Amino acid sequence: MFNDTVLKEIEGIKAKYPDRRSALLPSLYIAQREFGWLSREAMTCVARSLNLPEAVVRGTASFYSMYKHKPAGRHVIQLCTNISCMILGAGKLVDFLETRYGVPANGTSGDGRFSLVIMECIGACGTAPAMLVNTDFYDNLSEKRIEEILENYK
Amino acid sequence: MITLTINEKEITLDKPMSVLDAARKAGIKIPTLCHHEALKPYGGCRLCVVEVERMPKLQNSCTLMAADGMVVRTESEEISRTRRGILEFLLINHPLDCPYCDKAGECELQDLVNRYGPTTGRYTEEKRKVPESHKDHILARNMERCVVCTRCVRMCNDVQGASAISVIGRGNRSRVEPFSSESFNCEYCGNCLTVCPVGAILSRLYIHSFRPWQLDREVETVCPYCGVGCSLVVQVRDDSIKRVIPRMDLGVNRGLLCSRGRFGYEYIHSEDRLRTPLVRKDGTLQQATWSEALDIVAAKLTAVKNAEGGASIAGIASPRCTNEDNYVFQRFMRTACGTNNIDSVSRTGFAAAQKYFEDLLGQGITANLLDGLKNSETILVLGDDPAAVNPVLGLSIREAARRGAGVIVVGYAKGLDKFRTLQVIPRVFREAEVLEEVLTGVFSDRGVRGDMPYVDKGIRELSDRISGKKTGIEGIDETVKKLLQSASTSIVLGMDIVQRSDGHRALFAVAGLTYLLEARLYLLSGRPNEQGLIDAGCVPDMLPGGRPVNVPDFRGKFEAVWKAAVPDREGLTLLEIIEGAGKGNIKALYVMGDNPVRNIPHSSFVKEALRSLDFLVVQDIFLSETAEMADVVLPALGWTEKSGTYTNLERRIQLLRKAVETSSGMEDWRILSELSRRMGVPASYSGPEDVMRELARVSPLHRDLTYGEIAAGDALWPYHGEPLRGEMYEVPEMPDGAKDYNADFYLAVDKPLFHSGTLSRRSRALMKICPEATVRIGAAGAAKLGLKEGDKVRLSTPAGSCEAPVSVDGTIMDNRVFLSGNFTGSGVYDLMNFSIDKITKAPGTEGCEVKIEKIQGRG
Amino acid sequence: MEKVLLKNIDNPNSADIGEYRKAGGYRSLAKALQMQPADIVEEVKKSGIRGRGGAGFPTAMKWNFAMADPKFPKYLICNADEGEPGTFKDRPILEKNPHLLIEGMVISGYALGAEYGYIYLRGEYPAAKDILEGAIEQAYKENFLGDDILGKGVRFRLSVHQGAGAYICGEETALIESIEGKKGQPRTKPPFPVNVGAWSMPTIVNNVETLSNIPYIIEIGGEAYSAIGSSDCPGPKLYCVSGFVENPGVYELPMGTSLRDIIYKHAGGIKDNGKLKAVIPGGISTPVLPADAIDCAMDFVAMPKAGSMLGSGAVIVMDESVCMVRVTYRAMKFFEHESCGKCTPCREGTDWLRKILERIEHGKGREGDINLLSDVAGVMSGRTFCPLGDGAAGVVTGMIKHFRSEFEEHIRDKQCKFRN
Ligand SMILES: Cc1cc2nc3c(=O)[nH]c(=O)nc-3n(C[C@H](O)[C@H](O)[C@H](O)COP(=O)(O)O)c2cc1C
Ligand code: SF4
Ligand code: FES
Repeated sequence: MFNDTVLKEIEGIKAKYPDRRSALLPSLYIAQREFGWLSREAMTCVARSLNLPEAVVRGTASFYSMYKHKPAGRHVIQLCTNISCMILGAGKLVDFLETRYGVPANGTSGDGRFSLVIMECIGACGTAPAMLVNTDFYDNLSEKRIEEILENYK
Repeated sequence: MITLTINEKEITLDKPMSVLDAARKAGIKIPTLCHHEALKPYGGCRLCVVEVERMPKLQNSCTLMAADGMVVRTESEEISRTRRGILEFLLINHPLDCPYCDKAGECELQDLVNRYGPTTGRYTEEKRKVPESHKDHILARNMERCVVCTRCVRMCNDVQGASAISVIGRGNRSRVEPFSSESFNCEYCGNCLTVCPVGAILSRLYIHSFRPWQLDREVETVCPYCGVGCSLVVQVRDDSIKRVIPRMDLGVNRGLLCSRGRFGYEYIHSEDRLRTPLVRKDGTLQQATWSEALDIVAAKLTAVKNAEGGASIAGIASPRCTNEDNYVFQRFMRTACGTNNIDSVSRTGFAAAQKYFEDLLGQGITANLLDGLKNSETILVLGDDPAAVNPVLGLSIREAARRGAGVIVVGYAKGLDKFRTLQVIPRVFREAEVLEEVLTGVFSDRGVRGDMPYVDKGIRELSDRISGKKTGIEGIDETVKKLLQSASTSIVLGMDIVQRSDGHRALFAVAGLTYLLEARLYLLSGRPNEQGLIDAGCVPDMLPGGRPVNVPDFRGKFEAVWKAAVPDREGLTLLEIIEGAGKGNIKALYVMGDNPVRNIPHSSFVKEALRSLDFLVVQDIFLSETAEMADVVLPALGWTEKSGTYTNLERRIQLLRKAVETSSGMEDWRILSELSRRMGVPASYSGPEDVMRELARVSPLHRDLTYGEIAAGDALWPYHGEPLRGEMYEVPEMPDGAKDYNADFYLAVDKPLFHSGTLSRRSRALMKICPEATVRIGAAGAAKLGLKEGDKVRLSTPAGSCEAPVSVDGTIMDNRVFLSGNFTGSGVYDLMNFSIDKITKAPGTEGCEVKIEKIQGRG
Repeated sequence: MEKVLLKNIDNPNSADIGEYRKAGGYRSLAKALQMQPADIVEEVKKSGIRGRGGAGFPTAMKWNFAMADPKFPKYLICNADEGEPGTFKDRPILEKNPHLLIEGMVISGYALGAEYGYIYLRGEYPAAKDILEGAIEQAYKENFLGDDILGKGVRFRLSVHQGAGAYICGEETALIESIEGKKGQPRTKPPFPVNVGAWSMPTIVNNVETLSNIPYIIEIGGEAYSAIGSSDCPGPKLYCVSGFVENPGVYELPMGTSLRDIIYKHAGGIKDNGKLKAVIPGGISTPVLPADAIDCAMDFVAMPKAGSMLGSGAVIVMDESVCMVRVTYRAMKFFEHESCGKCTPCREGTDWLRKILERIEHGKGREGDINLLSDVAGVMSGRTFCPLGDGAAGVVTGMIKHFRSEFEEHIRDKQCKFRN
C-alpha cells in the first residue's frame, strides 16, 4: 500500500473533483512515479486508495499510452515520428537510437538505460524532429544532437 | 405522445424511446450486435443503421431517440451495403472456426452474416492472434472471436456491479480481461455469458459437450438455492442438465443470475445421490426396498405414538422442499403422528424474524416486491451481506445506489463496499443498541404514528429507557438524518443479528423503524422456500395459511378436510425439539430434506441429542451428516426431478417444473402420503397440483390459487386471501443485557456467495470456485497473530475445533473472525454453542470466544 | 495587426503574473466583473468568434445553450489536449502566456455561472503543466482566482487535469469521460455536454485559443473585434506551419489569411528553394491539398469550399521529396493507434487501411488495392461514432483523389522512390 504521504497527496487530488473516480488519472501518474511503472501491485494500490474496482483501474490505465504498462529503462525517450517529424527524418533517428544505444522501438536497451517510445505528435512540429526524455523536452534533433543530449542521461 | 413512421407503418409511443425500441415495439426487426436489452444503448457496432428523412447520413437507431414526425426506413440498398461492410470489418479479425466453436447455432454474428453476409472476404492480411485462455476454472476466454461489443463489460460493471473485467488496450488492440488477465476471480454470476453474442466467453462446464440444436428440451423453473427465487431455464439432453440459463423476459431476475443459480446445478447429477432406501441393520445402514423401509418407518412411528403419545414425535421440515412437500409433511406429522412439534432450520433466523414482525406489525409486513428496493431513496442494510446471501436482491441495492440512493450498512456487507454511502460499525454483537438509538432518534423527531398503540408504547418505553444514553458510535446521527429525509425507505435484514440471545431487541428496533418510517422490510432468506414452508404450516403454532393451531374453530376446519384429529397444543420449536431429544422427551424425529447436524449451532450437542433418539428418519437426496445417523434413510427426488411450487421472500409463489427423469427416489410428498396410508390416515394425491388444490381449499392464504395463476406469475401475496395472523398487542420484555465482548477473537458466521447450506458442495463448479472454508480475519487481528493470507490455523472453542486457511480481509474492523458453515470438518456451527432467545426461539450465537493458532505457514 | 494571443511572448518572463499585469493583464477581468454576465455573452456574440478547437462552432451559441440549462453547478473546461498532429498553436499560450488563458477562463466562468474550471492538458506537455500550475497559484494569491475574486463575491476555482496520451481525448465528450477518470471514449450526442457534461452537469468545453480571445473581446468590445479578419469568422488566428518551409513556427494572423500567404509570406516559402507538392492545411485529419489549390482563405467557411478544412490551422508543407503514400500510411498508423475502439468502422477500418497502405509503401501492393482502399474508406465514411474515423477515411480519399498516380506507381514498380 502507498505510504501516508502519498495517500495524503491522493486525498488532495480527490478534493479537486466532485467524485473520487476523477482522481484516477492523476493517481496513476503517482503510482507510476512510486513504482516505476504500472505493475499490478501499483494498480491495486490505486484501486484501494480510491475505492475503485481493480479491473476498472487497469482497464482505464491501459487505454492511455503515456502510462508505462511494462517496466521501463532508467530513462524513457519519447520520440515523435508523426508526419511533420517523419518527413524531416525522425525515422532515421529511430534507427540511430537502435544502432547507437541498442534500444529498439517501443523496447528497452539491454543495459536498462533507455526505453524508446514511438510517439504520436508531441506538439513540436515547428522544430521537428522532437522528443521528450523523461519530462525534458528537446527539438531540432539530429543524430549528433541526440548524442549530446543523451550524455546527460546515464 | 410521439408519432413516427417506420417502414410506412405509423407508430405511436407513450414514452420516449430510441428508434430501435420503437421499431421493435412495432415488430420491425433491426439487426444489432452491441445492443442488449439489459444494458444501456452503446452505439458501437453500427449495424443498427437506418435512414431517416431529412437527416444527411445513416443514423444509428439504438442511440437515436424517436421524435414526432420522424420518417424512418430500416432496409434499403444502402443500409444493406453498410451492414455488409460492417460485417466484413467484424470478420477481418474474427477466426472462422465456427465448426469448432461452441457458439455456432446461437451466435449472433453467424446469424447476421447469414442474413447480410459478405460472401467472400477481401481481407488477406494476417489476423489478430490471441491464444484462448483456460486459466480460469469456470470461464474460457477467446479474444480472437471477440467483436468488442463490450456487452460483457457493461453487464459486469453497470448491472452486476462486480467490475471484474474490462476492455484492456484500445482500438483494435482491445481485448476483454479480468484484472489478473488469468483467473476471473469474480462473483462468477456468469452474466457475461448471457450477453456475449459470439463465442468469446464460454462456460467450461459444458464446453464442447453439446450443440444448441441437440438439446432435447428446455424447461422453465425456479432456482433451488435462495429465497429470491430466480427464474431459470434448464436445458436438457439425455436426461442430464447441460446448461442453466436465465431469460430476459422471465421472473424476478429478468435475465440475471448468480453463481449458485447458474453453475450450481451439477449436484442433481452427483455420484453421491442416494439411490435406494437404507435401513440400519446391525449398526450399519444397508440397502432396502421401498416397501421394507416404509413399513419399518410406519410401524416404528405408530409404536412410539401409541407408547409415548404424539408429543414425543417431532418433524423437521425443509426450506428446500416445495410448498406441496411441506404441506403434506405437516399434515402427516399432525394427523398420522399426532404432533405439532413441527419446525425447520429456518427457526435459526428467517422463521423467527418473520414471526416476530408479523405478530407485531401484521401479516404481510415482509411481503414486498424487489422492485421497491430498486426505487428506494434510502436502503438500510443490517445483519448480512445481501449480495452474498441473496445475490440478485443485492443487485437491486446496487442498482438503487447507482441511481443515487443512499445505502447505509450497519455492520459489514462486503458486496456493497463500493456502493454504500455510509457504514456504521456497532460494537461487537451489540447491533441492537445501535438500532435502538437510531429508532429513538427517528422517534424524537417524528413522534409516534398512532396506528398501533402497542408499538407506539413500546417505542416510547424504549426511548425513556435509553434516553440520553448515547453509544457514541460514529454514523448514528447521520443515519437518523438520512432516514428522516428519505421519502421512501427500505430495510434489508440479514439473519446474523437475529442470532443473538437478545435478538428480539434488534427486531423490535427494526420493527419500530419499519413502522415509523413506513419502510419496506425485506428479510434475507438463504433457502428457496423459507416463507413457503411457514405458509404451508410447517411451524409449531400455526396450521397452513397462518391459522393458529390452538383455536378450535380453525382446527376443526382442517380436521374435517383431513378426516383426522389435530393436536390442540402448540408444538415445540426447532431448538426445543433438539433439546427435547437430548432430554429424552422426544423419542422419534422425522427429518425431511435438511441437515440439522450441520445447520444448527453446536453440532456436537445436536449429534448427541439425535443419538438419544429411539428412532430417526431422514428423507433426503444425499447421505448428509444427519442421514448418516438415521435408522432409516429415504431417497427423495431433487429439484428438476419433480414439480411443485416455492414461495420467495417477496411472497411470490412460483412454479418449479420437472425437467429430468430419474429412476431412483420418490417425491417427498409421495413418501409421506405412502407412510400416512400405512399409518391408517389416508392422504393421497394424484400429483403436486392436486396437493396445491387441497392447500388452496384449506388455507385462507392460498385461497382458490391455481397452478394456472401461478404459472402466469400472478401469485403474489395476498393472493385471494386476506391478511390473517393476529397482532401481538404487546411488546415483549426487553432485557438490557448489554455486555462488552473484549476477548481477542470471537467466532461469527460467514455466508459465502458461492455456497448455500450443504447442497452446493456437490456442485463441481462451485467447489472449484470456492473449494474450502476459509477463516476471514481483519488486518489488525492477522497482524496480532502474525498471520498472512493462506496461513493455516486451528480454531478452537469449548464446542470443538477445526483447521482452515486464513484470508485477511482489510474491511473487518473488529475482533470477529468469520467462518462458513458449508464444509464438513470446518463448519462454523461445529464450533459454536448457543443460548436460546426466549422470545424468538432463535439460537443466540454471540460471544463464542475462539482461540486461533497458526499451525503451518503458507506453502 | 497587434498581437493578441502571442503578445509579450518574446519576454523571457512572460509567464509571470507581474509581467502579465505590467502589459495590461487582468484589466479585462476587472472590467468584466463590472458587467452583467449576460452582457459579457452579448459581447462575445457580437464578436462573432468561432471555436478554435477545429469545428468552428460559434462560441456564444454554445454558451447560451449551457446558460439556458437550469442545472448547477456548471463546469468550464479548457481543451488543451492539442493532439491533432501538426498542431502546436496552443502550446505558446500555455507555456508563455498562461495568465491570458486564466483570465479568459475566469471571465468566461463568471459569464456562464460556472464556478469550477479545469484545464485538460495533454500529457505530452509536462513543462506546460508546471507553468500553468505556477500561474494558477499566483492568480489565487492575487485574488484573480478563488471564492471572492477581486472582492466581487465571484467564485472561480481552477485546476489542471493532465491527460495521459490519447488523441481522442481532444474530442469534447471523450475529454469529459477522461476527466471523470474513465477511458476517453466519446459519448452519444445528444445529450450535449452543455446539458449533460462532466459529472452529468452542464459543461462548456472550449479550446485554449478560443478562451484566450475572451479578454481581448472584453477589452475592445465585440463589435471592434468582429472587424478583424474574415467577416463570417472574425478575429486573430494562430496558424502553425511545419514541414518543408524556411521558417516553421506559429503565426498570429487575421483569420482568413490565404494559405499561400501563410506559406510564402510568413513562413518564408519552401525550404531550400524546393518545389511545393502538397499541403495538409488543418492538421492531419483534414484532406490534403495539391500545390495548385493554395489560393484559399484559411477560415472555417472558405476551406470546405476549397476541398479541405481549417481544422486546427496546422499547416504541414510537403515538397517534391515527400512520398504521399508514406504520408498516408503514417497518418493511418496514427489513426489506427489512436482509434478508441468503440465503433466497428473506425476500429477495424483503420487497421485494415493501415495494413493495405503498409503493403503498398513496402512494394507489396496489388492490383485492386486502390479500389479496396476507397471501398474500405467508403464504408467508414459517415458511419463512425465520432469524427476521428471520418477524418481517417477522408485522408485516404483525399490522397487518392489528388495523388492517385503515386499509389499506382508504387503498386506497379513494387517500390517507393521517394526520399522522405
Ligand atoms: C477526434 C477529435 C479530436 C479533437 N481534438 C481537439 C483538440 O486537441 N483540441 C481542441 O481544442 N479541440 C479538439 N477537438 C474539438 C473538440 O471536440 C471541441 O469541439 C472543442 O474543444 C470545442 O472548443 P471550441 O468551441 O473552442 O473550438 C477534437 C475533436 C475531435 C472529433
Ligand atoms: S440469487 Fe438466489 S435465486 Fe437467484 S440465482 Fe442466485 S441463488 Fe438462485
Ligand atoms: S446496436 Fe446500435 S450500434 Fe450496435
